[in-house]
Amino acid sequence: MKMLGITALVPPEIVFACGFKPFDLNNIVPTSTTRPKNKLCAWTAIWREQIMSGELDLDSLVVVAGGDCHNALVDGQRAAEKIPAFYLFYPFDGNKEYLKSQFERLSLFLGGIIDPGIMKTVKSVKENLMKLDQLRSQGVISSELGFQYLISGCDLQGDPTAFKEELSRIPRERGGDLASMHRVALIGVPPIHHDFHREAERLGLHIVFDEMPFEFIRHTGKNINELAESYADYTFARDLKYRFDFLKEELGKRRIDAIIHCTQFACHHVLEDGMLREHLQYPTLTVHSDLPGPVPEQLKLRIEAFSELLWRK
Amino acid sequence: MIRYGVDVGSTTAKIVSLTPELTYRVTESRNWETLLEGIPANEIASTGYFRHKIPHKIAATEITTAIYGVKEYLNDPEVIVDIGGQDTKVTDVRRNNFIVNDKCSAGTGAFLEFIAHYFGLKVTDLSKIHHKAAHTININHTCSVFALSEVVSHLVDGHTIEDLIASIHQAFAERIAQMIPEAEKIVLIGGTAQNRGITISLEEILKQEIHTPPNPQIINALGALRYGEEKEE
Repeated sequence: MKMLGITALVPPEIVFACGFKPFDLNNIVPTSTTRPKNKLCAWTAIWREQIMSGELDLDSLVVVAGGDCHNALVDGQRAAEKIPAFYLFYPFDGNKEYLKSQFERLSLFLGGIIDPGIMKTVKSVKENLMKLDQLRSQGVISSELGFQYLISGCDLQGDPTAFKEELSRIPRERGGDLASMHRVALIGVPPIHHDFHREAERLGLHIVFDEMPFEFIRHTGKNINELAESYADYTFARDLKYRFDFLKEELGKRRIDAIIHCTQFACHHVLEDGMLREHLQYPTLTVHSDLPGPVPEQLKLRIEAFSELLWRK
Repeated sequence: MIRYGVDVGSTTAKIVSLTPELTYRVTESRNWETLLEGIPANEIASTGYFRHKIPHKIAATEITTAIYGVKEYLNDPEVIVDIGGQDTKVTDVRRNNFIVNDKCSAGTGAFLEFIAHYFGLKVTDLSKIHHKAAHTININHTCSVFALSEVVSHLVDGHTIEDLIASIHQAFAERIAQMIPEAEKIVLIGGTAQNRGITISLEEILKQEIHTPPNPQIINALGALRYGEEKEE
């Protein structure tokens, strides 16, 4: 199977149906030791660097450019010097017809749909991920274990059947201690530190919602029409009020105590912080990360202090 | 029983006790062990960067201990600004929120030490020198190193050291003022709060009184003690 690099939310339903194996390039970043030469955001610069050096062996690339990350648009064009690339643009206004045409163009770029039936398999895997997300919110599994699978909702680790099997084997062992922790929503980009969820839990914060992985798993469909219908609501691509209203409802359902807003140094999403705080009205810790690796001591201090302050309520 | 509050930060270590009146000692962080000689761990509540490393019974971050420490001197503080050696923390006590400078040391004690070292001065002299200034000049760079380059160019242009120190305090205070939310009761703590040049500049920028408790450098150690006592109950 040909390997397709994807840079965020690219419907795996279409990728598998066209005979490609999706591989979310972001998932290599948190444990990467690559130090890119020219960067604003480490996420996009690291996968760009690895494509350029040949360290990542991919057949093609799909860059989510419109409505998500403009750094990816630039770094994707650099990477396109090495491998064929397609630029996917989500609609800001949620226009389903526009998105359908984008998905049709994506299918053509990938050579056309050859296995439409696999979309149903992907949909059922995502339904299982939605259940997993609920179990984590109920404290049946830890933040870290849940996140490890939810973040793979974008590429299903390249094999929907094997991934579904793996999901069915996840131990459901946690309970009591999670119930006594503060319930926290992680908003924004996923943390670039590979042990973030573990550290947050060690410091008394149970992360029961990860915004981006939740977007990965909640959109699906059995054909292009259904996919366009669902993915048009991808909140990261929509206007901020739409996104915040969606979050307000989701956080309310999950009885959230506080928010950690994860941003990257030199990323335009940092600018959203003030609006997010005003709109959502939860105690909020804003994290500005830069390079990947374990959670740095400075950040541990902030998480610990945030946890202490929440006990003061 | 908790009897001591100990704050070992990036630059200085402080120990406080209240038996019966306030006594304290301060040393450089690398010598923190000398403060704890003969004191059992179960009598210590710790804070600061080294809070988990030093012997202790109870530990808390400086953000929490600052709230406890300030309340010894002032009822209902709204915002606490803690200027540390390598970071500046602004805590909005009303909303349980805080921010810490992240990627830059320009608004921290390290910046003033860097500048003092360049001029061959002690950090403790900066306040006196500030009061002799006739004018201030805008320092535009937010990076410590580039700010020093800018200061050097002003020195070449003939400005006095006094004017430049006051200008640096002004730039420092402007940087911190950006982090402070609107509030009536703003309290400044940390060793840098002893520098009146900083508090005066901050008061000018924010156009309001800034409260500074006595011995602002030991407030976190005092807060650790009070926090430890409360947790023990």
